Amino acid sequence: MPMLDDNVREQVVDFLKDLAGPVRLMMFTQEFECEYCAETRQLVEEIGELSELVSVEVYDFLADGEKAEQLGVDKIPAIAVIGAEDYGVRFYGIPSGYEFTSLLHAIRTVAAGKPELSEAGVQALAEVTEPIHIQVFVTPTCPYCPQSVTLAHQMAIASPHVRADMVEAMEFPHLAVRYQVMGVPRTVINETVHLEGAAPEPMVLEKLQEALAGTEG
Amino acid sequence: MDLGFLPAGLEPYDVLVIGGGPAGATAALYTARAGLRTLVVDKGLTAGALGTTAKIVNYPGVPGPLSGAELVRRIRDQAVSFGAEFVTDKVLRVDLRGDPKQVWGGEGVYPAQAVVIATGAMGRTRRIPGEERLLGRGVSYCATCDGPFFQGQEVAVVGNNDEAVEEALTLTRFASRVHFLSPTADLRASPELGEALAAHPQVTLYPTARVREVVGQERVEGVRISHQGEERTIPVGGVFVYLQGNIPVTDFLDDQLPVGQGGCLLVDDSFQTVIPGVFAVGDVLCRHLKQAVVAAADGVVAAMAVDRYLSGRKKLRPDWSR
Repeated sequence: MPMLDDNVREQVVDFLKDLAGPVRLMMFTQEFECEYCAETRQLVEEIGELSELVSVEVYDFLADGEKAEQLGVDKIPAIAVIGAEDYGVRFYGIPSGYEFTSLLHAIRTVAAGKPELSEAGVQALAEVTEPIHIQVFVTPTCPYCPQSVTLAHQMAIASPHVRADMVEAMEFPHLAVRYQVMGVPRTVINETVHLEGAAPEPMVLEKLQEALAGTEG
Repeated sequence: MDLGFLPAGLEPYDVLVIGGGPAGATAALYTARAGLRTLVVDKGLTAGALGTTAKIVNYPGVPGPLSGAELVRRIRDQAVSFGAEFVTDKVLRVDLRGDPKQVWGGEGVYPAQAVVIATGAMGRTRRIPGEERLLGRGVSYCATCDGPFFQGQEVAVVGNNDEAVEEALTLTRFASRVHFLSPTADLRASPELGEALAAHPQVTLYPTARVREVVGQERVEGVRISHQGEERTIPVGGVFVYLQGNIPVTDFLDDQLPVGQGGCLLVDDSFQTVIPGVFAVGDVLCRHLKQAVVAAADGVVAAMAVDRYLSGRKKLRPDWSR
């Protein structure tokens, strides 16, 4: 049974029709597929059928451990969205519900390799020289979450030092506990700084600076 | 599985109205009648000031008495009869400068050539003590987002309108018990929703409950309320807040439009904001007499201006509709 019905397929084709360049969806699962691994794999495979510029590669988390390590993939299901380079755009857990939109946005902006951020945002991110890891915790039923996920991914595209993950909180309960996630979206920057809700770009940038100041101090 | 993907490729509406109270629904009535493809995005019949008014006796031509919700429903029905479409959705953000302009709701993205903001003035001014401090630590405004974190726990819902009731019903899928704290004796929700809530075995209703504080150190541990003359603390793991206040609802605009004192929107004589094609009507405006008939009249003037704006554009761009 296909996951995307005809109506959605048509919309996806339309959404991806003007991709600026090729995109690789590198998906990690394992032989005995984890909860939602099979669905996530099927989802990316179906998306791959809808654009000539989107290619899908499925890897085994254990057998292809080297590849996983190289991409910083530490849990599954995982999708790395790779364009002309690896901008650090990742999805952990199935991008279903509202997060399907985040995945499509990620494909489109990674293809372009140009972040959709304000000039000030691009400028601020160009000045980042320390590694930044943004994790955005979501649930698939959260309409506010894609805004945070997409913003984090844009920031990853804007700076080679920034990587950004969508993390589906229900699939990784140990992370939800570790980062005290009781509401989404919750953005965690470099383990130390966190932010509640779909915050606008300037607010996230401020938190990013805070996290950087923390690493220096 | 519901992928919830909402089209970016939708054919843009001519007019998108945010808010379906007297101002928004009347604007829609006039634009639809003028042949413009019109969509109204609204949170629900009793989301606004008129929808929650118990009795109306001074609306010209409608001697009443009838409920505010009934009056809103009649205006909407009239708008629908001319071809306006209504969807129940909550607007999360907008892009007013794009072409077309885009409005993001929980259910999808709605593109439109012109936008009319009619969101009223029931935004919140005051927070409950503890609310801000414990946000994301058990305080939430979105049951569909955060409900799963409260599996098997007791939670509280604070509010009395449709949205509060719907969210409480959503929470019964996760929480073992939902304590529904209504600031008023009667709910300001539609009768069907009110009955569903009252009949639900996992829901405890507290009419005229005053929430004094959300308590907890690192996370929500309870709510302190006064109810029927006594103070008590109900132990809960989550508090979902849907209270309303009396300030203009503009948070979804994210500073795209200038606001006057008190956060109200500024417009010209034709109710257009500083962004061409973006209009605002009703209680969301500055120095506005808060009467349904005045709001409705705003809607009429704005609808005419929308029509002029769109026909002007057609002349400028003959290939617009392709």
